[in-house]
Amino acid sequence: MEILDSIFLNTKKIFLDLLGCWLPDWMILLVNIGIIIGVIAVLGPVIMMYLTLLERKIIGRMQNRIGPNRVGIFGILQPIADGIKMFTKEDIIPQNADKIVHFLAPVLMVIPALLAFAVLPFGRGMIPVNLNVGLLFFIAVSSTSTICVFMASWASRNKFSILGGMRSAAQMISYEIPMVLSVVPVILSAESLSTYAIVEAQARWSGLHWFVFTPWGLLAFIIFFLCGVAECNRSPFDLPEAESEIVAGFHTEYSGMKFALFYMAEYMNTFTVSALAATLFLGGWEGPVLPSWLWFFIKTHALIFVMFWFRGTLPRFRVDQLMGLAWKLFLPLTLINIFVAGGYHLISDRNFRVAGASAVLLVSFLLFTVFLNRKYMPEKRRYDLVD
Amino acid sequence: MELLNLAGIAGVYTLMLVILIAAVAMVTLRSLFHSALALAAVLIGIAGIYLTLQADFLAMIQILIYVGAVMTLIIFAVMLTEHLSHQTVRQNNRQSPLAIAGICAFLFCLTGVIVRTPWPLQPQNQTATITAMELGKAFMGQYVFAFELISVFLIAALIGAIVIARKDK
Amino acid sequence: MFFGLGVLRGLMVTLKNFVTSYFMPPDRGGLFTVEYPEKRLPVIERFRNFPFLVYDKDPENPRCVACEICANECPTKCIYIEKDTDPNKKPLRRPAIFDIDITVCMNCGICEEVCPFDSIYMDHPFEVASSDRLEKLLFHKNDLLKSNDYFHKIRPTHAAAIDARRRAVEEKKKSAAVKPSETGQPPKAQNGGKP
Repeated sequence: MEILDSIFLNTKKIFLDLLGCWLPDWMILLVNIGIIIGVIAVLGPVIMMYLTLLERKIIGRMQNRIGPNRVGIFGILQPIADGIKMFTKEDIIPQNADKIVHFLAPVLMVIPALLAFAVLPFGRGMIPVNLNVGLLFFIAVSSTSTICVFMASWASRNKFSILGGMRSAAQMISYEIPMVLSVVPVILSAESLSTYAIVEAQARWSGLHWFVFTPWGLLAFIIFFLCGVAECNRSPFDLPEAESEIVAGFHTEYSGMKFALFYMAEYMNTFTVSALAATLFLGGWEGPVLPSWLWFFIKTHALIFVMFWFRGTLPRFRVDQLMGLAWKLFLPLTLINIFVAGGYHLISDRNFRVAGASAVLLVSFLLFTVFLNRKYMPEKRRYDLVD
Repeated sequence: MELLNLAGIAGVYTLMLVILIAAVAMVTLRSLFHSALALAAVLIGIAGIYLTLQADFLAMIQILIYVGAVMTLIIFAVMLTEHLSHQTVRQNNRQSPLAIAGICAFLFCLTGVIVRTPWPLQPQNQTATITAMELGKAFMGQYVFAFELISVFLIAALIGAIVIARKDK
Repeated sequence: MFFGLGVLRGLMVTLKNFVTSYFMPPDRGGLFTVEYPEKRLPVIERFRNFPFLVYDKDPENPRCVACEICANECPTKCIYIEKDTDPNKKPLRRPAIFDIDITVCMNCGICEEVCPFDSIYMDHPFEVASSDRLEKLLFHKNDLLKSNDYFHKIRPTHAAAIDARRRAVEEKKKSAAVKPSETGQPPKAQNGGKP
């Protein structure tokens, strides 16, 4: 099993050793970096393409129909057909649009999505760049996509685009704060900001030491995952770009390859948020029998399935419900969560701390949902029938 | 290896050049939105400079706070106030020669100071580490009073903003 | 009970749908998609598409007598009939030309309802799309003539009812032809055959 585990690393080492016979040292370094960049640059879009196919098939099955299956067996070649369609569509730019900004916005939207792949631990020893502020790097680059949304909506010079863009940007910054704060207990517990070190902190006792199995970890996982869904503008938080709402919001005026770039950025964000949630809370690449990279993909795709499941089931939020959820429910819960996680670390008696933490979190959840959100909980009505 | 070092140094100088160009663009572009975007480019460039000075935590925080939050706020403000059509605002007025004279005097003084400094400078204590843990210990240890004062300040600003923005009953 | 229970119930419904779609039969939660060009659903008997003409024994003697009632009643006027003539220019009770333009025909079935001679009925095949409007989408008499056995195959109960009625009319005609010969009177002329 160890052979399978490090098969990619060994292949790269053999290849670099072969090259090292007749190339100087510094060029080997560059070739190493080039291989890593090449793998990520190929893996990102390929994953995105097959995620679109997976989404259509899964949502189709949930709606009692088969997804696409005409192009290739089980629709395997469907993303290639979609890609060809996007490439060959006409690129329409509105006449009054700001040409440079209109061109730059989709390009700059894909950059953070691709950069985030650099700090994901794909397996044991397989992380592209082991930054020691890896988690903060991920959060920082994913927060720069807000400006790109503004650029896209402004450059279209279309009032509905601007409206959709501002809603989308407001949603993105509102949900960033609970996302960052819910990761703080994990950093507290793993004592490092590097994603690799966080996975290693969970990999000690196989399976049971994952952060999701602690009370504060479970709450932090749920909040992080829901905030991640909101960051990617996916259902049920897809008010800014839903077709029946505001005609696709900030990417209304984009067609052809530029729209394909926005689409690609959204699906790559989906993958990276799921991968990061799996890394931080579900133990990354750690697991009993199978190779480590296989466990990573299984966990990530389980979370991606949950995202698709949400899309197939839930109606979308209204904009005030969306904002209310972030500011009135998630933010107070994450703040309480940080305190509870700190207390959890200081108390060493196992049963007491689990019971205490769960009690405090449950009580605070009920308090916040009842007192802060009373306006949204409908009262029970009695209908007395007049005889 | 010298080639890589040389490439590194060339990269840092290119970064500084890009920052300077973006800063000049920020003050001379006619559309306010484009100036805001140039400001975002300058801030990302400054984060790059922090990275060359081995301050990784600070660079990430710079991107997260400045580019992610402060620029978003500035762009919100620009988008809410600027008219949708093209704005061509003259970027200089009749007092340009006087301003140029003043700036040349300032540059002269600045160049004098820069030339007289013994480059390269040695920092005070070579052993100071700038990791997140050291920053946290400093915040909670040596600078805790300033930290608490800043947080009270921020809460006062938040409450003030809510009071201003609230509708009068 | 608790805040969020409705969402979880909804998610369970979708998950159940997802899982049962793989192995359950169509009426209990499975897929009921029919993948069209490879599989087809059988059409029901009363399915109504473009018309066809019935002949009993051979195509030279169709049931149609070219009375032109269907051409007159057709709402879109898609039927064009010309009576056949024998070498002496006397009209025969047979159509020489019977054209239906199926780009105009709207499958309403009025021609079937008004035909007094049980000769035009609505056919089943619907895959007649073609890019050749003048050749393939204008059906001539040869395309429209189909045998009574074919009629029985596509509409069993309807064809059996028509055949029973025609046989009853034949029996009545034969018995009426036989009876007056007993009483010595010439046989009475019957009207059409329509009950």
